[in-house]
Amino acid sequence: MGIRQIAESDLGLILEDSTTGFGWPITITDPDGTTGSLTGFSDDIAQVIDPETGQIVSGRLASAVVRISSLTTVGLALPRGIADANIKPWIVEFDDINGTAWKFKVAQSNPDRMLGVVSLLLELYQ
Amino acid sequence: MITTLIDKQDSFEIIRDQIAAILKTESLNQMQIAGTEGKDPQGWALRVYTERSNPWEQVLNDPTDNTPIVNVWFSDSTFDPSTSNISERQASESTFNIDCYGIGVSRDDGDGHIPGDKEAAFETQRTIRLVRNILMASEYTYLALRGLVWQRWPQSVTVFQPQSDSTTVQQVVGSRLTMRVKFNEFSPQYEHQTLELLSTTMTRAGDGQIVVAAEYDYT
Repeated sequence: MGIRQIAESDLGLILEDSTTGFGWPITITDPDGTTGSLTGFSDDIAQVIDPETGQIVSGRLASAVVRISSLTTVGLALPRGIADANIKPWIVEFDDINGTAWKFKVAQSNPDRMLGVVSLLLELYQ
Repeated sequence: MITTLIDKQDSFEIIRDQIAAILKTESLNQMQIAGTEGKDPQGWALRVYTERSNPWEQVLNDPTDNTPIVNVWFSDSTFDPSTSNISERQASESTFNIDCYGIGVSRDDGDGHIPGDKEAAFETQRTIRLVRNILMASEYTYLALRGLVWQRWPQSVTVFQPQSDSTTVQQVVGSRLTMRVKFNEFSPQYEHQTLELLSTTMTRAGDGQIVVAAEYDYT
């Protein structure tokens, strides 16, 4: 097994270990309504926004990282940001550490096809 | 020495507060009119502040309230000596920045969705529209300060480019309406001393001589 295959295989321990690692349950829904339950990294922290008026606005930055092979396993394609307002966006849902559920849409998808992970930049979705 | 306490607001402070008061009052008034016309009053709602520099944290901690934010702040003044006098009145032309923040959160819309980036841009432009229309309404030709304000004029509108380096969960777009206002500033005046009372009576004598009789207290 080559080093890249080993690295991809290690994602199971690095990304998807929710028992002793940082793995966290994440639900992803595609525009057709197909839903898959995965384990990956999720992130939701405060982030300042600079609208260039000279005054910053407190905001939030949320993201998720999942293994591409696990997306395929649950029957999902690679998530992507949907610009067309006539189509449902890709939806990502996860709880914060205190159990509050949050729902986001995928604003931007940054796949790393060499290593086999995709980083999803998220926007709040109501 | 100046003998009186300088305990007043300068005209630029009065005008800054007046702009904010007009915006808030008219926003509420528009909401009421919208309600009577069967429209959603939220489309005319504004959160108005003056001179705020702390971050707008409610965007982070209250994501359900996406009412646009308006911040009125004084920027600068120039003084025109040709229309002033050197002792009491300084004609001023001042800039007031009215910053508007539109907040957009993506949401479901039937078979599709409303994107937050578009929503934020539309919200800030709607806010600029409201602010300019209110302040340039003929009812506020002198910002309801006739005698103090000579002219108010919208100098420019700038919508700032949304940030593209990172995507936050709420989209925020900022814009600025720059208002120029001409008005007078006034300065403390010398307190005059009361003159001695003096009365005179002027008469013309029969020979034509002018006779002045003066009466005054002296020590």
